[in-house]
Amino acid sequence: MNELLGKLAACIEFGKVNLASPYPPHMKDQEGADEITRRALDGGVDPQDILYFGLMPGMERVGIKFRENRVFVPQVLMSARAMSTAMLHLKPYFLSGAARQKGTYIIGTVLGDLHDIGKNLVAMMVEGNGYKVVDLGTDVNSEKFIAAIKENTGAVVGLSALLTTTMVNMQHITSEIKKAVPETLVTIGGAPVNHDFCKKIGADFYAPDPQGVVEFLNKK
Amino acid sequence: MMNREFNFRLDELVIDQQEVAAVLGYDEGPLPEPFDSYLEQAMDESFGLTDIRAAYRIVDDIMVNEKEHLLMACGLAFKVGKTVCGELKGSQRLAFFICSAGKTISEKAEKLLKGEDPVLGYVYNVVGNAIAEAAGNRMQLFLKQAMEKSGDLITNRYSPGYCHWNVADQHKLFSLFPDSTCGVSLTSSALMQPVKSISGVIGIGRNVKYRAYPCELCSAANCIYRRTMHH
Ligand code: B1M
Repeated sequence: MNELLGKLAACIEFGKVNLASPYPPHMKDQEGADEITRRALDGGVDPQDILYFGLMPGMERVGIKFRENRVFVPQVLMSARAMSTAMLHLKPYFLSGAARQKGTYIIGTVLGDLHDIGKNLVAMMVEGNGYKVVDLGTDVNSEKFIAAIKENTGAVVGLSALLTTTMVNMQHITSEIKKAVPETLVTIGGAPVNHDFCKKIGADFYAPDPQGVVEFLNKK
Repeated sequence: MMNREFNFRLDELVIDQQEVAAVLGYDEGPLPEPFDSYLEQAMDESFGLTDIRAAYRIVDDIMVNEKEHLLMACGLAFKVGKTVCGELKGSQRLAFFICSAGKTISEKAEKLLKGEDPVLGYVYNVVGNAIAEAAGNRMQLFLKQAMEKSGDLITNRYSPGYCHWNVADQHKLFSLFPDSTCGVSLTSSALMQPVKSISGVIGIGRNVKYRAYPCELCSAANCIYRRTMHH
């Protein structure tokens, strides 16, 4: 594809935000996601192609490297920063309908739990892979999830929890969601959660890491 | 019964900067920009913290029930599980503790993470974690020195939520302390606030053993500390 989009993918992969940013050291003094996205749009590249062939491949590589412990949280956050800088340029096209995201993902940390770093990483990675993300924050009850599902028909839901005392709330939230909007797919994750727990509470998918959520969404 | 509370300054604590760098993803060599300056900023600011605190309470009406994996203290039954019970075997007394890096750094990290600068926020977050653990180490050292005077030894420290010890037991643990000890409170879902806080128990006795806390004791397969080279 376009050479510019290849460069943009590298900016996302390595977290190169803009020309002024010194990070990563091997891309110092080079243009970043900010300038390249602008240049691509000014050069007539379709915003949809920028998303699909520039941003998404970059973010996918980050997700895989994070899963394989080849990068850590800070590097993912730098990539997310580069991604959101590029997305600022694309936003008008999403609003006008000239470019489309792949679907909607509603995410929140469940009732009683205030941890959000893990949840935020999932949100960033899902967004970076072409989905609209509705982030409900922390300490989210079933009513808030259900209201968001009703506002975003067909959205998939993500529940996060970091303690065994709060992961139990996933069960109630999942069953309330399934009662209110039965066709909703519910994904769960967080340090104490596992596949067996997912099955037990009637959720649809357990992902140990953000990339797992992306792969699930891409398959459906 | 014996209670002690400490207020620590950062320069009294030992922060393993190599461990912090490893959690940030840099096991070897210098930290690249901007992480070097971010870490410097977070550390510099932390030297001004005045709310790093720790407290322990020693109780002597205790029993370690290895058969049922229970720890009895002050009439309360802690369901600590097999591993922790084994580690505390032989204890004649127990020191329950609460330690906190404090509200200032917990809130600073959270605010940055939520808005302004998530990367810097994450660095504060990691420094906050290290301070909470370092306060735990310091408190543990003081306890060890105090116990040595009477010829007693101490075990390592063990926390609700680890090794199958149910986090819900935090409620029992906190009931042993006056409200807001170290400025820490507990939510109904057993979450400590400020978030950069730890709690737990240490065994005391003539024949207890101090054993390093190896990752093998823990069942958390996705732990970020398992990913670093130092564990
Ligand atoms: C919807 O789909 C999805 C899919 C994937 C999803 C998802 C949703 N949500 C998350 N994911 C996944 O993707 C993310 C990116 O990979 C990941 O998100 P995480 O949020 O897990 O990961 C973050 C990006 C980075 N991870 C972290 O920041 C947490 C790391 C670990 C090591 C950890 C740390 C650092 C700390 N802790 Co503690 N701590 C642990 C953690 C073990 C671990 N997970 O590695 C955990 C969470 N802690 C635990 C415990 C028990 C505790 N901690 C405590 C204290 C601390 C520190 C202060 C030392 C420190 C900071 C805590 C904080 N809240 O800021 C205590 C509680 C603190 C409180 N405020 O109440 C205390 C209760 C111990 C005590 N009694 O003192 C355990 C909880 C298990 C349980 N039984 O509930 C624990 C899993 C460790 C363990 N080995 O058992 C995945 O889980």
